[in-house]
Amino acid sequence: MAKKRSKFLMIWVITAVVCLFLFLKYASPKIFQVLMAKDHTMPTPSTLMMWYMIMGVLAGLVYATTSNQKFADFLGFLLPGGGPIIKILLQKMLFVGFPVLVGWFVYSWSIPGAASPVELRIQHPTLPQEFEKRENPFRQTDAETQRKCIEEGKILFQTYCRPCHGSKADGNGPFANSFRLRPINFQDPGTIATVVDNYLFWRIKEGGPGLPSESTPWDSAMPSWKDDLKDDEIWKIIMGEYDTAGVMPRQREKLE
Amino acid sequence: MIKAFKRVLVGLGLVVVTTSVFVVRSEVPAHASHLFRTYKHEVPQKLSETPEAVAEGKKVYEKRCWYCHGIEGGGDGPASKTMFPKPRNFTRNEYKVRSTTFGSVPTDEDLFRIITSGIEGTAMPFWSTITETERWQVIYYVKTFNEQFKKDTAPKVVSVGSVASTPDSIKRGQELFKETKCYECHGEDGRGNGPLTVALQTEWNMPYRARDLSKAWNFKGGNAIEDIYRTISTGFNETPMGSYLEKLSDEDRWHVAHFVKSLSKDMASDVVVKVKLLEGDQLPSEPLDENWGKATPVELPLGGQILTSPRHWAPAIDAVMVRAVYNKDEIAFLVEWDDSTNKQEEVFRDAMSLQFPTKIPESLKKPYFAMGDSSGAVNLWSWKAHWGEGFGSAAEAPETVVELNAKGFKSVVPQPPESQNVSGKGIYQNGRWKVVMKRPLKTEDAKGDIQFEIGKLIPIAFAVWDGSNSDVAGQKSVSSWYYISLEKPVPKTVFVYVLIAIVMGASIEMWFVARLRRFPPKLEE
Repeated sequence: MAKKRSKFLMIWVITAVVCLFLFLKYASPKIFQVLMAKDHTMPTPSTLMMWYMIMGVLAGLVYATTSNQKFADFLGFLLPGGGPIIKILLQKMLFVGFPVLVGWFVYSWSIPGAASPVELRIQHPTLPQEFEKRENPFRQTDAETQRKCIEEGKILFQTYCRPCHGSKADGNGPFANSFRLRPINFQDPGTIATVVDNYLFWRIKEGGPGLPSESTPWDSAMPSWKDDLKDDEIWKIIMGEYDTAGVMPRQREKLE
Repeated sequence: MIKAFKRVLVGLGLVVVTTSVFVVRSEVPAHASHLFRTYKHEVPQKLSETPEAVAEGKKVYEKRCWYCHGIEGGGDGPASKTMFPKPRNFTRNEYKVRSTTFGSVPTDEDLFRIITSGIEGTAMPFWSTITETERWQVIYYVKTFNEQFKKDTAPKVVSVGSVASTPDSIKRGQELFKETKCYECHGEDGRGNGPLTVALQTEWNMPYRARDLSKAWNFKGGNAIEDIYRTISTGFNETPMGSYLEKLSDEDRWHVAHFVKSLSKDMASDVVVKVKLLEGDQLPSEPLDENWGKATPVELPLGGQILTSPRHWAPAIDAVMVRAVYNKDEIAFLVEWDDSTNKQEEVFRDAMSLQFPTKIPESLKKPYFAMGDSSGAVNLWSWKAHWGEGFGSAAEAPETVVELNAKGFKSVVPQPPESQNVSGKGIYQNGRWKVVMKRPLKTEDAKGDIQFEIGKLIPIAFAVWDGSNSDVAGQKSVSSWYYISLEKPVPKTVFVYVLIAIVMGASIEMWFVARLRRFPPKLEE
């Protein structure tokens, strides 16, 4: 058994590399979908795949050269004569397959492919100076007023922000699919939980058009609300928004 | 000897490795089904319906639901003003997605499923994010809004068997679709364009919209075959969609369900629309030209124009399908979208517009996606449908195609007559507009017109107006920036390269094998 297997070492190595490829290409996206509880597959990034494949091929070669016996067996597969019919068949497939594979690589590499758009953006640009000093007038009030402000803010949020950002502030409103730069999911701890009230005030008031160019204002579907909402309403929306999303604004660090 | 082979082998390994880089270039097929909410059927163990559970449910309701559904459950919450369709009124029995007979209230499990899954195409989110206990509690509270839940203690549930989908079944379904007059609302191709749909109004003076059966993602209560069968069997309470439990036999309802399923399609979306080269051919100028079949269609979701006042919270058109072709002189676009009627008014016209930047961007920077801005102008190709009041009427407006330039919503200027080079034509057929727009690749007006170049990514955006939805000016459905790319023809030299590669691959292989045979690896004993 062991002897028979070693005769086909080269085939086993090739099979292992092919399996690795199939795993990365088809199985891993599904596995990550389940593991990360996404409702879509998670394709392996192409550079990652490239490195995994390089490592896979090298690992195969390292394995084949671990002992002279193995290496002789590995190469011996290509020698003529002897062996069952399946060996001859596989040999022929290998001889034909290699140049075809090389040809196919060259073809897929040299046909003009459609370029993929590059859309880099900075998600949290610096807060402009004029907004730095603004303060939410309702944060310092008594608990009862705050509760009222949150409730009023939630109503405004549900009326004007919900169509894109969703009833749960999870970025899944009915219009969310229509904007390729999807509305922000405020429940995500990397979004509004990392900034202070002023920052949201700036974003709501000035919207996409008020972004600096490194944040690609031309792709942002965030409206500017300065003409339609009063400052007080915006502050209330911010309070309602944090409450709906179930996160807290970042606390300002106290200077010692 | 073995060492020499090792060296050769490692070299060969590197060749394989470098070539494998190109394996990874193949792209994932485009699909957008993951964008949409899906109807989840599983229901866990029920919580017992106690007064405590109802009291807890009230808390959940008043934290999460009332903004839309109203504090008294009347479907009139403060946020409902920016919603279409309107939130469910719980005081009436207008429940749509039920497993119970027409006019009955839904089962607790039905309510659990819909709360867990949400409803695509509406504001109803999926509440799988709150605990199962909370969901049961809120269901028990919602039931207190309507007395009927107490009266119908055990609503009759429609059983779901199954009949396999076969071409015969679909064909029979199609016949029944006709015989049962489904087309009167849903239209012959199922695009929700039947003559009755256009006439029927709800009591809030809102139009009843028959479901567009070609859009699988919008099916209320799921688009699986059992879901469609259930809807046909139970109907939607308080809508013109009645129950066919009595009118059609169990088997026939399966046939109709299979037919409806065969009409429905997923959205095949992508970011780049590939513009196909039609060598030597005349570009199609008719929407029904068969040459359009050669271009790959891309479907894009649209949303309401919410960027500037007055904002459009209730758009009627939620997707467009785009195809594009070019030859050495011209480029042509075919844009299609479903619209339940081509009825319009003089002010509210069916219309569509393509938007390009005036120049292909050289950096990341583009004009603002909604009509450009002061630092980036856009070029608009605007098509308006023919409008007429009817036969023998004097009031009429012709179909028009106008080229405009815009630098924001407030500065839109039509181009002078000598720069108008876009021609277009639209037809309305079975609930669908198909509009062709065509222009030379290059024009004289280099300042106001986009100049198309092969192989570059050229931003494009879309806007659609539905006259019957009172869409006009800023009241429209819009898209973000997408891209078109004029496909480069495959150069003949590619095949030479491939041939060389194969010959080289074969030579290396033969040399390697020959060497191997001459000096076979020997084991040192």
